[in-house]
Amino acid sequence: MRRAALLLALVVLLAACGGALATDELQGVVVDPPQPKPSFTLTDTSGDPYDFALATEGKAALLYFGYLNCPDICPVHLAQIAEVFDQVPDVARNTEVVFVSVDPQRDTPDAIREYLDKFDSSFVGLTGTLEELKAAQEAAGVPLAQYVGDGEDYTVDHAGWVIAFAPDGLNHAIYPFGVRQSAWLNDLQIIATQ
Amino acid sequence: MISFWCTALTRPWTWEWIAYPGIWLATILPIVAYLVSVRRYPAKVDWGKAAQFIGGWLVFWAASDWPLGTLGAGYMASAHMAQFLLYTLLAAPLILLGTPEWMANRITKRLRIRNAVVWLGNSLVGSALLYNVILLATHAPGSVQALRTSQFGSFFMDAAWMIAGFILWMPIVAPIKEARTRSAAARMIYLFVAASIVSVIPASFLTFTNIPIYGIYELAPRVTSFTAVEDQQLAGIIMKIATIPIIWSTIAVIWFRWTAQEVRTA
Repeated sequence: MRRAALLLALVVLLAACGGALATDELQGVVVDPPQPKPSFTLTDTSGDPYDFALATEGKAALLYFGYLNCPDICPVHLAQIAEVFDQVPDVARNTEVVFVSVDPQRDTPDAIREYLDKFDSSFVGLTGTLEELKAAQEAAGVPLAQYVGDGEDYTVDHAGWVIAFAPDGLNHAIYPFGVRQSAWLNDLQIIATQ
Repeated sequence: MISFWCTALTRPWTWEWIAYPGIWLATILPIVAYLVSVRRYPAKVDWGKAAQFIGGWLVFWAASDWPLGTLGAGYMASAHMAQFLLYTLLAAPLILLGTPEWMANRITKRLRIRNAVVWLGNSLVGSALLYNVILLATHAPGSVQALRTSQFGSFFMDAAWMIAGFILWMPIVAPIKEARTRSAAARMIYLFVAASIVSVIPASFLTFTNIPIYGIYELAPRVTSFTAVEDQQLAGIIMKIATIPIIWSTIAVIWFRWTAQEVRTA
């Protein structure tokens, strides 16, 4: 009987251990030494030029290269960030999420805007010519997007991680696919104060 | 697409039908075996019981197959919870109610589990503990992550839930008379404690935690406009509220039968 009660207590305890606990340390993949913010200019969804370094100066920024037809990684990354933003509105106000579409052939500015609005209307969407996008990816130090397949249904192999810049202008950590909201919640609050 | 059993998929949800022959087999085989057995048995077929038995397996099928099974395996915590409740609160008791005593005796003797079944049906503490251990163990984030990502693991989890349902209802509606708890008061208290008390713990975690507990659902492409946390809260609410009508209506039935019997005796 006592054994059964202990077993039940143990199971309750295990059941309670859900996500990671909050810490003072970054739970993303730490970049050591921190890297400087890249400099590139693309076009936002209003058609205006967007200088990434200038527009995000003094703020935290999350930079991500993706595309609208991405079946899994892109929408989950954006949903995760948007859902965490709902919990920390102060951090969200001072953090710029910049989504760079690496599929200029299909992703028009209007389509990018409509897509991002499904997650958070404050997210910035950028596009450009293939040459401009190549320059932006090289500046950010991510692998260049590769276009796989023919016709309209091609897919795009792209960097699947979010690059986080603190207000100090440095990239302190990156966030590959699979990062939990508990980690985002922890890290966004740390990054916002660095 | 065809797959033996539901498992978490790493692609966005679509309404494209998926065939799960393993689930069809698991539903059809017991029904066919039941119908063949009752037709061969010398006594008259009780079609009311047969309807309960078949109904129970149809609930099992609806909870396991596409779309609910697919959603519960890898997309939505709320679907996962709906599956659990369908298995344990509807499918399992219906199957027990629909099983004739001679058939239950034959099956339990052949599987050499008759003594265990009789013990479970009479040991209310044992049944309540075992049911709740399975409930908590199969809802722990680590278990969900480990089991739902493979077809075998997913099958194991569904089977564990069905077994949990049989254990929960054994003292109330066991087909073997000796396995049924006689005292109506004990049955009512048992049902309330076993099915309503411990489940409040995971239900509360799900409802009141502001971060998603289950990575498998958190990192799945969203199916509805619900966020991962909202979906999880819905799962918690389903767990808390959906048990109420079934548990309390059963308690009411036991109560009224008990009082009617007392009146007759008096």
